Amino acid sequence: MKQHPLCTDTEHAPSVMDLPIPAGLKQEWASLQTRRRFLGRTGKVLGWAALASLLGDRALSGDAQAASTQSASAAPAAGDWRLPYFAPKAKRAIYLFMSGGPPQMDLLDYKPNLAALYDKDIPDSVRGAQQLTGMTAGQARFPIAPSHWAFQRYGKSGTWVSDLLPYTARMVDDLTIIKTTNTDAINHEPAIMLMNTGNMNAGKPCLGSWLAYGLGSMNDNLPTFMVLQTKVNAKENNQPVSSRLWSSGFLSSEYAGVGLRSAGDLVLYLTDPNGVDREVRRKMLDAVNAINQQTSQELGDPETNSRISQYEMAYRMQASVPELADLSKEPQSTWDLYGPEAKEPGTFAYNCLMARRMAERDVRFVQVYKRGWDVHGDVTGVLPILCQETDRGCYALVTDLKQRGLLDDTLVIWAGEFGRTVYSQGGLTHDNYGRDHHPRCFTTWMTGGGARPGITYGETDEYSYNIVKDPVPVRDFNATILHCLGIDHNKLTYKIQGLDQKLTGTTPASVVPGLLA
Amino acid sequence: MGTCYPKAATPKSVVLSKLIHLSWATSLCLTGAVLVTAVGCRDRQPPVTTAQGAQQLDFNQDVQPILASNCFSCHGPDPEMRKAGLRLDLKESAFAKRPQHPDAIVPGHPEQSELIKRIESKDPHYLMPQSPQGDAKPMKAADIAILREWIKEGAVYRPHWAFQKPVKPRLPVVQSNDWAKTPIDMLVLARLKKEGLHPSPEADKDTLIRRVTLDLTGLLPTPAEVSAFVNDESPQAYEHVVDRLLASKSYGEARARYWMDYARYADTYGLHYDNSRDIWPYRDYVIRSFNNNKPFDQFAMEQIAGDLLPAKNLDPLIASGYVRLGVSSNEGGTIPEELRVNMARERTKAYGATFMGLTVGCAVCHDHKYDPTTQKDFYSLSAFFNNIDELPFNGDRPVWTPVARVPKPQNTEAYDRVLAKRSELAGQLNAARLQERDLAKRWLASKQNPPEAVSADKLMLRLRLDEGGGEVLKNSAPNAHPASFPIGKSKSQWGETTWLWPDFRIDASTHIMLGQTGDKDWNQPFSLGGWFMLRAAPNYTVESTSGALISKMDTTQHNRGWDLSVEKGILSVDLVNEEPKEKAKPKKATVKNGVLTKEPFDYPTPTDLTAKDLAPNKPPPKKDAHKKEVAGKKNSKKPAAEMAKDRTPVVAIKVSTVDPLPLDGKWRHVSFTYDGSGKASGVKIYVNGAAVATRVVFDALGHSTIRTQAPMQLGWRYPDATPAQDTRYQDIRFYGRALTADEAKRLPYEDYVAEITRKPQAKWNQDQWHVVSEFYLNDVNANYRAIQSQIDQLDAQLDKLSEGGPLTLVAWEKPSIAYADVLTRGVYTARTERVEANTPHFLPPLPAGMPHNRLALAKWTVSAENPLTARVTVNRMWNELFGAGLVETTEDFGIMGQRPSHPELLDWLAVEFRESGWDVKHMYKLMVMSETYRQSAKSTPEQLAKDPKNLLLAHGPRFRMDAEMLRDVALESGGLLENKIGGPSVKPYQPANVWEQVSIGGSDTLAYVQQHGDALYRRSMYTYWKRMAMMPDMEAFDAPMRDEACTRRQRTDTPLQALVTMNDVQWVEAARALAQRVIETGGKQPEQRIKLMSDILLSHDPPPKMDSVLESSLTQMEKHYAADPKAARELIEVGEKKSDASIPAPELAAWTMVASEMLNLDETVTK
Repeated sequence: MKQHPLCTDTEHAPSVMDLPIPAGLKQEWASLQTRRRFLGRTGKVLGWAALASLLGDRALSGDAQAASTQSASAAPAAGDWRLPYFAPKAKRAIYLFMSGGPPQMDLLDYKPNLAALYDKDIPDSVRGAQQLTGMTAGQARFPIAPSHWAFQRYGKSGTWVSDLLPYTARMVDDLTIIKTTNTDAINHEPAIMLMNTGNMNAGKPCLGSWLAYGLGSMNDNLPTFMVLQTKVNAKENNQPVSSRLWSSGFLSSEYAGVGLRSAGDLVLYLTDPNGVDREVRRKMLDAVNAINQQTSQELGDPETNSRISQYEMAYRMQASVPELADLSKEPQSTWDLYGPEAKEPGTFAYNCLMARRMAERDVRFVQVYKRGWDVHGDVTGVLPILCQETDRGCYALVTDLKQRGLLDDTLVIWAGEFGRTVYSQGGLTHDNYGRDHHPRCFTTWMTGGGARPGITYGETDEYSYNIVKDPVPVRDFNATILHCLGIDHNKLTYKIQGLDQKLTGTTPASVVPGLLA
Repeated sequence: MGTCYPKAATPKSVVLSKLIHLSWATSLCLTGAVLVTAVGCRDRQPPVTTAQGAQQLDFNQDVQPILASNCFSCHGPDPEMRKAGLRLDLKESAFAKRPQHPDAIVPGHPEQSELIKRIESKDPHYLMPQSPQGDAKPMKAADIAILREWIKEGAVYRPHWAFQKPVKPRLPVVQSNDWAKTPIDMLVLARLKKEGLHPSPEADKDTLIRRVTLDLTGLLPTPAEVSAFVNDESPQAYEHVVDRLLASKSYGEARARYWMDYARYADTYGLHYDNSRDIWPYRDYVIRSFNNNKPFDQFAMEQIAGDLLPAKNLDPLIASGYVRLGVSSNEGGTIPEELRVNMARERTKAYGATFMGLTVGCAVCHDHKYDPTTQKDFYSLSAFFNNIDELPFNGDRPVWTPVARVPKPQNTEAYDRVLAKRSELAGQLNAARLQERDLAKRWLASKQNPPEAVSADKLMLRLRLDEGGGEVLKNSAPNAHPASFPIGKSKSQWGETTWLWPDFRIDASTHIMLGQTGDKDWNQPFSLGGWFMLRAAPNYTVESTSGALISKMDTTQHNRGWDLSVEKGILSVDLVNEEPKEKAKPKKATVKNGVLTKEPFDYPTPTDLTAKDLAPNKPPPKKDAHKKEVAGKKNSKKPAAEMAKDRTPVVAIKVSTVDPLPLDGKWRHVSFTYDGSGKASGVKIYVNGAAVATRVVFDALGHSTIRTQAPMQLGWRYPDATPAQDTRYQDIRFYGRALTADEAKRLPYEDYVAEITRKPQAKWNQDQWHVVSEFYLNDVNANYRAIQSQIDQLDAQLDKLSEGGPLTLVAWEKPSIAYADVLTRGVYTARTERVEANTPHFLPPLPAGMPHNRLALAKWTVSAENPLTARVTVNRMWNELFGAGLVETTEDFGIMGQRPSHPELLDWLAVEFRESGWDVKHMYKLMVMSETYRQSAKSTPEQLAKDPKNLLLAHGPRFRMDAEMLRDVALESGGLLENKIGGPSVKPYQPANVWEQVSIGGSDTLAYVQQHGDALYRRSMYTYWKRMAMMPDMEAFDAPMRDEACTRRQRTDTPLQALVTMNDVQWVEAARALAQRVIETGGKQPEQRIKLMSDILLSHDPPPKMDSVLESSLTQMEKHYAADPKAARELIEVGEKKSDASIPAPELAAWTMVASEMLNLDETVTK
């Protein structure tokens, strides 16, 4: 039932009405479609997975199949619909992106033996033929810098956590910590692209866009996919981000992330100009709509109708977005949990709180960017600041979602684009050191819908340099995320230039069962 | 958001009901008893056999698309993915016998064909096609039926349509010929008839003039122009309008605006710091070219290879900036070889999309899965773009050489005169180059000035370093001892570039130990020489270039020994008995005047770029953030303290060059000789064979020994000290004697040429021919040399004449051979085969007798034999005007691309384009003069049902304007538009914190500094284009990021767009200006003013309904603002242009809202 690949009118929209399924189901689908209209998506875009979950039960009970055999003359492509997907554990996801590459051995990848190896060179056998970045390629020595911080065990799981992360330590029994995430890229631009879009080169849709495309929207008043930037701290080495990271690539741009901003308009151009109040706006829209309806009748261009509905959606957003960002009704317990800085727009804590509020309002995917983790030098000076900025917010978000019963169907992900070297970049002293980019292993975590809580997955060697057990390449990481959201990464595809493109790319990827609840 | 994607831009609002209609409509079509060929996405239907007999299938239109989309990914051109040895894209292989396999296709017998059995099978394991995961993906019944029919008809294969040269079709005989007046219309009508559709009546004159004015100029017609046209009853009225528009200056801007997408124009580099760059003169060149109606072949050639064309003015060179418009990087830590590969790849893809209409980029990692483009084809094509005289990273600078400086207008004439002279001389050089092999042969045959070798007397070491891999380096000196040196496990890089031959580079961990070769004492003469390329990498400043190129020195023994080293570009020869641990460094003073402020340039690059031109955009402290040793402050003091303790006296000779070597990534031959005198005066240093000025730093060796047991090595001092990082080496020699100055001169080239010429010419390879030719032209042919020096003088004049002018990035070809490497899976280090620049094997060959460089590519691109360029270009023109190309996939004319909706029309236009002398205006005129274009846009339910995308053209075009046109129209309607052509990009209003929240500190595009005055009201094509943070109002309306060539934009419809046109300060200000304009000039009565507003925006009077809605809205707004004058004042103060104080605020505010209503109408934003 897939459209002809040469068909370019296409979101691969299967014509549901042609499916060999009962009429009632078609009707249900049609009404679902109406509800799903957002950002220009007037019906043609389906959210395959959503359709599958709609069809799912009946398919299981045999209805769809029965219908299929009844109308044998119909296209035999119903195969595409036979449970390509499964009941999702998570309906939505929040991705806390730690841009720059957090140093795993200072946070969650505890390496007690390193202390004894202070200032010793990392053995060549460990480093192997590793391509180094241009930053340390010229270093004559690669001296080991043990972590400056002590680690303790926490929770029933007895997970080792650095003293830098006292809040994260409290929730280790909820986390799925992955020590063996690894990537192919060694510099920021390609590595961030790979992490966000599954490809080192720009032009591919990001995870959020795939989800928006595949799953569709769950609410009528807010974007499906929202992006939050954390204010930069000048003390940190803030590698840039760009809209490529929340771009929809070759998917329609309606699936791109919409920024919720901490300064100026919450969403670009959201606020009416000075001197225009809600009443004037309504009247203005009434006039525009009245004339547009006339145009539609005269010219018969369906675009005109679409435009009318988009203007109405814009009008609704003008109310729903400020409501989303209005924290005045948050109880004291919120501030006790997130800390006072959550009141200040643009802080990480604020963004975490906003992410929770978006989850409550059924925004499908929220991506929070926190830059500054690129600690080439002054780790002891900068890393405590970074942790202080983020540790409590992460904990508060997870705890808050849990308390509200949202964690069961919300997947929270914490990850950067790569890890950092155990050897020091630049000078090493007992008080300080720097760390270069390291692609071979880095630590990430997830929690919530679909993830197995209280475990640490994978093992790295004693230098946190190579993986000794259970590697999780980025493509597997992404496949697992999709799985938690009920999506088979091999089936959420989009045919472009003849190729079935997917988030996980051309190298075979697999879901990591060990990470799943 | 804002990306360009190669999928058909389709209305985003096709409602579900339309999908239902679609399939229903298809069956309607079938009643016509014709085979339905692919139009849009309608389902294919089995061929219908009529009483009259079987309908022949068209392989290209009907069959190949089905095979391609279902079969080729495993049974297509890519051998890596091929399953069961079956290849279906070629007849020979599809019909071939395969051992142990039944015949896939038995022509005439579908039932015996395995292909049919497989696709019809009910067994999921046997059924084809299957996904890579092995899941069966059954085909549509309709497609199966077509394949069956095709095999039954004999399985006729035909070459892919787009790779065949277009020929003008015979025009159909048209019956109702009052409608079809032009060839375009005849071909469109024939098709409509075939589908049972009818053309629409001509659009109203007001609609028509609005449409054509927007299309040809990107602006609205004035009410006066509209009424003049409406009242002009002459038969030529419309043509006069078209001619006027084609002659207007705005025409070139409108065309250039599209071309900027095709060429990926932007004002920043696009990665990491995303700093600004100077290339806007290219944009102005494009405008100028369209306005002057430069023939398209010339236009294309100038962009691909303007630097290689004879030039009467600077335009061709400015045009060549096209090559360098893509994204580039300077991210610290990135590897130059990877960046170079990325750049060539980027340019190849861009060229492929814009000029070939092919997705050649699909062949980066493997042979194309659908098109015949092999991986080798891709890299051969990329080689054309791999020979630019540039560093592979941009230095975060606004200018990244090569650049040209555009003379100021008052100097242009003088400049062009000199340039013409230069061109003539350069033409002579090129003529010599074209026959360089013949000239060189003649020279060698004449026995005049034969190449003379350097005597191999006492040659103890010769490392050619041409092994290309392996475990050992050969010592090719006569009687060499030892004869080879093990490389060991250390990592070295082979063949990244080609100089005399594919080269050799030591990596960070490479140690090449040469034992006791070079064991000499103070009283023994010796010489050393070789080709070196110093490392140039992002964030490697001149300061970073420091260390030993070659040494035999023991740093544990007070540096006893000798070495050739480089420090901040200064070369030094050291002969040391002992010296303090911290070696003395050449004074900084010398460096200051040199490399830091200048880089060496060939014409056209200005030789006197100021330090400011060359300065990185980011402030210096940030630049080296990555290299900063934060913890090392204390550390860095340590050595100084130690040095103070080290009171070792200096017993050494140190001779240094005065001028530093530029860090330009070029090969240089460096040699030195020492006469065994124990004196500094006994040391001579030569660069490229010429003695260079030196300074004596120490002359205190006396008769002390310099012998050491430390091994001689490349790139380090024993044991592991001060490497000259990542240097490339070729042909390193060590002589146990002092070479004479004449020998030193012959060492770089002549000696090697002598060696080559001892072999028969038939055995010379390409590289050897190149070396011989270069030597002949530069060193033997006096005439060539003389012309070159005249050119140098003219270049100096050109530099002078262009002083103070703006800089722009250009392309500049290196004299070397354009090569690239085929890379396994596209990985930059996985080089498999070096290939010379060439065009894809399935297309016509390059013009004969030319070197394979960009000029050859440019000529090929617009040659009469090229089947693609003309088609691709006219198709884009069509796309601009009609909203969809005749081939919808404007960027893909390959197997997976859409088939043309009107193949004959496309070919007719393509041939007409070429035969007209590539006359661009002629083509636009033909298209807009056609009845097809002039039809009313009104669509009937029947048309919508049968052809929802209007690909058959049963009515006129109607679609939302592009981002730039929308803003321009808004500005124009309020009289705000500052209609001035060209100049640096401007920064109009932008919401706060768009750049800041994503950019890296230190970037020169970190903070958006809005300009004021006229800059706010320029046409949108002049708005500064930052790739990593696009102008949000443009982005909302689907403007692409311009990371890559975009040949058609998406056209979405989103609430974010409504927010822009309702709330963006630019739109509110435009509404107020429009309100003010109609109040001031429209008359007193509301209906008069509304009429004027409508005339301005829609080119017609408001229909009664609109009028009444707006008037009643006006009444409401007046009431509102009369009651709230403060709100009124606030509204009319939006924007920087002051409003007319004589108009009462409530009145102006109310009218502002009415104007905003009008600006937001579907009809207003639609073309």
